[in-house]
Amino acid sequence: MKSNTLKSYKERLQYLLVYGSAIISFGILLVIVGYIFYQGVGHLSIGFLKNDYDSKTVYATVSVDELGFSLEKDEEGNYVIDDITNIDITNTAKDPQGNEVDFDRGDNIISINMKNIEALDQEAINQLIDDGDGETLIKLKKAGGGIFPMIITTLIIIVSSLIVAVPIGIFSAIYLTEYAKQGKLIRIIRFSVECLAGIPSIIYGLFGMLFFVTMLNFNYSVLSGALTISIVLLPIIIRTTEESLKTVPMSYREASLGLGGTKIQTIMKVIIPSALPGIMTAVILSIGRIIGESAALLLTAGTAAKIPDGLLSSGSTLTVKAYLIAKEEGDIAAACAIGVIIISIILLLNLITKMIAKRRQAL
Amino acid sequence: MLTKMENQQKKGLFKDGNNRKKYEKAAEIFFLANAAIAIVSVFAIALFIFYKGLQPFMPLNEEGTYSFIDFITGTQWRPHDEISQAAYGIFYMIIGSIFSATGAIILGVPLGILTAVFMAEIAPKPIAKLMRTAVELLAGIPSVFFGIFGLGFIVPKIMASSPYSQGQSLLAVILVLTIMILPTIISLAENAIRAVPDTFRQGSYALGASKIYTIFKVVLPAAKSGILAGVVLGTGRAIGETMAVMLVAGNPIAGIPTSIWAPVRPMTTNIALEMGYAFGLHQEMLFATGVVLFIFIMIINIVFNKIAYGMKSS
Repeated sequence: MKSNTLKSYKERLQYLLVYGSAIISFGILLVIVGYIFYQGVGHLSIGFLKNDYDSKTVYATVSVDELGFSLEKDEEGNYVIDDITNIDITNTAKDPQGNEVDFDRGDNIISINMKNIEALDQEAINQLIDDGDGETLIKLKKAGGGIFPMIITTLIIIVSSLIVAVPIGIFSAIYLTEYAKQGKLIRIIRFSVECLAGIPSIIYGLFGMLFFVTMLNFNYSVLSGALTISIVLLPIIIRTTEESLKTVPMSYREASLGLGGTKIQTIMKVIIPSALPGIMTAVILSIGRIIGESAALLLTAGTAAKIPDGLLSSGSTLTVKAYLIAKEEGDIAAACAIGVIIISIILLLNLITKMIAKRRQAL
Repeated sequence: MLTKMENQQKKGLFKDGNNRKKYEKAAEIFFLANAAIAIVSVFAIALFIFYKGLQPFMPLNEEGTYSFIDFITGTQWRPHDEISQAAYGIFYMIIGSIFSATGAIILGVPLGILTAVFMAEIAPKPIAKLMRTAVELLAGIPSVFFGIFGLGFIVPKIMASSPYSQGQSLLAVILVLTIMILPTIISLAENAIRAVPDTFRQGSYALGASKIYTIFKVVLPAAKSGILAGVVLGTGRAIGETMAVMLVAGNPIAGIPTSIWAPVRPMTTNIALEMGYAFGLHQEMLFATGVVLFIFIMIINIVFNKIAYGMKSS
């Protein structure tokens, strides 16, 4: 009897441990996601998505007789554009080099016709423009604090690394499932793929820096970053594609070969099309990985907060920038705002993968 | 490639069986070449990092030589001092990496396994499904954001109870890493538990054992190797994690951590912190840190491979 109650105490404790752990694990996720959203959502705005990261001061000559936008004082007492009422102001605005200048909501107007407007009221500002016989010189500070360049950089790196990694990954998977015979070679390839999957991102960064940045002289650039990431992606693409190639029924291959198709025709016209959902999954998983990657990109793509001029120009992705914002500026809210965007994208990608898997099961 | 092949076929290039065989062979070699890229990559990565990282210990190195023993046993990292006084010791970083990973394993493994037990054995289906989605989401969150969460949430909390003024500490690193390895351990442990045949459970029940007794005495021991693989993989993650750790570690330039409140500088963060501006011997020393890290990871990979391979054959 005594041992029975002891046992039940022990069992109760075991149940408590299991339930407790599940609640803690689940709770951790809620706390993290909750924290990032709580901190980040308030920071999100249209400006955050479409502004440059650094604010930029430009002079613009405008050929209009009236203001064309309404102004508002912001917290620091600067005049910022509240609403654009006359579209001409953007159409005719040119900087001294003759390039077009866009006026956006939130831009800060510093001076009109070389006169600082900070102390003036709206009336006096209108007067200033009237005085300047049709040609008005406006000094404006384009609002910064946005992540638009990082969004573009991330997209460029996603596209370019997929272009490199997806074909290599698919062809490797084809070799592993359709050609390779059990033996030493296939074990070496498998082991290499396992190793690639296990190597931490920072080591990839070191390699990319040494090989692409320094040796091939690509410098810190989106190209160096994309090529480094391509290697990171290989194991994900190879494994996922391999799984989906394995699910293509043997009878498909036999039918194709039986009809006189060559092996290569069978692969290209029968096996790959029927493995397409799996390949799509591989691509989506890769996109998630690229978006989440940071250590390797920090050492290869650089940290410039601008839209890259080309493949050989440096740029930072969203996660790299989130790191820099948190580390160097201590701005947790802005970093979390990037987190909100990225977690939403990851959720969406998860959802798409699930849908593909479901449709595959239904087939 | 496909259209080229079709064109050639239309021209009747393949009528000759010999030609067709050659073409098939060429295709096989093409696919093999792609598969070989994985092998080449691993070799190239190892080669380049070892080549650059071992330079400073070679006699007559252009950038100056440094004693390997001093490097591996030193407890000071002072790359910015005068050349004659600069110190590159990573012993305290190795210890930092090991402490962080061990701490994360001690906290994360029981938590992860018990959660997996709940999901696989106890939870009703919809709840298990919901939790699996949650684990997937946790696995998908980029590492940087765990660091940002650590910096904004965990570090201030630690600061409130730490005897020191700073919250960036070994404890913060352990907590962040624990959270980060949870999804790996949960999903591998859950798979292993689910793979245990039902006959094991039925046999145990038939002998009069209770459900929880069956789980702890029959199911978990049977799922041991799968769980172990998860633990090894989690260790690899914990040792290799960089960005999140960098935000919460404190990264001191010297000192073996003596308590969980002390700041640490794991090997990964040493590399990422200074690589952006390092040159000469300093840069080579960062690569040397990479070599040590690489060796750690390779050992873990080989152990993992052995376990996973052993699992398949058993």
